[in-house]
Amino acid sequence: MSTLPKPGNFFEASEAGAADHELQRKLENASTRHLDHFAHTRAEFSAYEDERTASRQIKEDSIARLDELLLALIGKLKERGCAVFVASSAEEARDYIVDVARKSGSKLVVKGKSMTTEEIGLNPALEKAGIEVLETDLGEYIVQLRNEPPSHIITPAIHLSKEDIGELFHEKFGIPYTSEPERLTAEARNRLRDSFLRADFGVTGVNFAIAETGTLVVVENEGNGRMSSTMPEVFVAVMGLEKVIPRLADVSHFLEILARTATGQKISTYTNFISGPRRDGEVDGPREMHVVILDNGRSAMLADPVLREALYCIRCGACLNVCPVYRHIGGHAYRSPYPGPIGSIVSPNLVGSAAAHLPFASTLCGACKDICPVKIDIPRILLHLRWKEASSSNPPQWPRSAEMARWGARRFARMARHPQLIRILGRLGALALRPFARDGWIRKMPPPFANWTKIRDFPLPRPRHHETVAGKDS
Amino acid sequence: MADLQAIVARVKDALASGTAPTNHSAAASASPAAAIVSTGNRAELVSSFGRELQAVGGRMIGPVAPAEVAARIVDIARERAAKLVAVGQGLASDMNAIAQALQASGVAIVRTGRVDSTTRGAMREQLAHADAGVAEADYAIASTGTLAVLSDEGRPSALTLLPPNSIVIVRIDRMVPDLAAAMAAFGPAALEAHRMTLITGPSRTADIEKRIVMGVHGPKSLDVIVVWPQDD
Repeated sequence: MSTLPKPGNFFEASEAGAADHELQRKLENASTRHLDHFAHTRAEFSAYEDERTASRQIKEDSIARLDELLLALIGKLKERGCAVFVASSAEEARDYIVDVARKSGSKLVVKGKSMTTEEIGLNPALEKAGIEVLETDLGEYIVQLRNEPPSHIITPAIHLSKEDIGELFHEKFGIPYTSEPERLTAEARNRLRDSFLRADFGVTGVNFAIAETGTLVVVENEGNGRMSSTMPEVFVAVMGLEKVIPRLADVSHFLEILARTATGQKISTYTNFISGPRRDGEVDGPREMHVVILDNGRSAMLADPVLREALYCIRCGACLNVCPVYRHIGGHAYRSPYPGPIGSIVSPNLVGSAAAHLPFASTLCGACKDICPVKIDIPRILLHLRWKEASSSNPPQWPRSAEMARWGARRFARMARHPQLIRILGRLGALALRPFARDGWIRKMPPPFANWTKIRDFPLPRPRHHETVAGKDS
Repeated sequence: MADLQAIVARVKDALASGTAPTNHSAAASASPAAAIVSTGNRAELVSSFGRELQAVGGRMIGPVAPAEVAARIVDIARERAAKLVAVGQGLASDMNAIAQALQASGVAIVRTGRVDSTTRGAMREQLAHADAGVAEADYAIASTGTLAVLSDEGRPSALTLLPPNSIVIVRIDRMVPDLAAAMAAFGPAALEAHRMTLITGPSRTADIEKRIVMGVHGPKSLDVIVVWPQDD
């Protein structure tokens, strides 16, 4: 992973995010815009649900016979002249790529957007080996200039306003300040164009790998994926082992849903079908092509019948956009290249113990499940991971407030069986809290409940509430 | 590579240890290969293609007769103020005629073709400096306004990537209704080329506040000339 902007653990980082109203305004702005686009493209496409079902079925089928498909894919890739490396860990993948870069004498690496390379921490490793690394997706380029990781898997700079980016370009490049997206984009284009022509090493991720033909499908809008995979002499594609699908015919189903959920487009501007290095006599395409197929915790997910479903993910990012928690705390708080709901279920396996408590960072509202184009039941997996974590031999270290909440919940569960007792305690509680309340809301609870009101208000308990609206929210 | 067998074995064990949610091995089979549709639907396909292309910031010209193509390209080159134009090799279209017409209008020309290690660099340099690139697409997809372009030695991918203006010719008989039909029309054979690119509009980004900007690393403009032979 790249440098993390916020110190401390998830709890501190999420508190910082939650307190950042400017950040929430930006996320709200971008998410709303995104969801409008999605609603529009979905409404005018009557086959959306059919394509969604077809995509889900292809993923179920692919993952169910992953061993067989992987062997077929590897065989085809080799036939086409690719070098294939299967990496069991992030470290193995990283070392292999650095080694290829070193052996080819590469000085400048251009990269397409790839969360998998964030997962394996590729950039710092290449830089450590003295190789310059340039992110070329505009959003990635911007966050790289700020020396911070992406905060969204589709829109890496979603946490920045156009004014933030204007100031960044002004400061880094000494150009006159402008907040016009057109002018900022033109500036980035001019600066990156020369690098594309100079670079000797290209890296991209992979959206789908077709086993029957040994073809990698890379989806993008800007043309930087095309550049990174055709201009340099050496090209490395990095993919999680779950990206394999059986046939070329399967691709159309995914293309019909991916761009709609990811960006609200019908289809992305460029869909690259890459089948090996350039042939003799050709102008572009790499001389040498490598495919790194990464396990790094994925086979462990596969072995868990509930968690397995998370491997169906096509990384569209839609669940981030609808998630109330993501929209409140932002992507950086998750401290993983995979934030949001999907991040909360894959990060514990892909990033490790630092992400073990992410499954708890959810309200289980289910919006992610509703929007997921391959219908992943994220809330179910979150609960499953919570159960696993809580029953593990090394349960997470909770802050004291969480322990207290748990203790409180147990007491409440016991009391709730006695309506009389609840009524009496409710009245007593309301009476005791009244001095702290204004207009029926408590803005600052006394200790030991003070944490509750740090970022939200608490309603003053009302008499007869529990008797009259049992089972309903007031 | 020492780990390949171990990892595949690990995947296999993992599969055996958990039951899959459902197994649909026969699900989602390929659409029937009825790619190239009859003449009756062509007018509809063209109008859908044009509408979708326009929606993503591209422009459709035509349908035009084969003999008109060169003149139209000269017009576009003038409109885009192109001084150097790269012309790729064609499929059914006469690219020599196009190159000659452009030259006659005072535009400098680069022709793509087979290169070797001594000429590759110079060719790429010329493509990078061209103001426009002229290519012929292998397929067009009506439902999304998409072009499918295969690469080979006369038709490099850079032709539709490096120049800021992209001009692409496509024949009416290469137009298919939607993505599924396109996949069926390609067949695995189309992927014998080391690269096929689906192109839908000019290059774009929405990375700054989700606002759409055209012309990032690829072309800023995309003009597609649809060719409809009279006798077809």
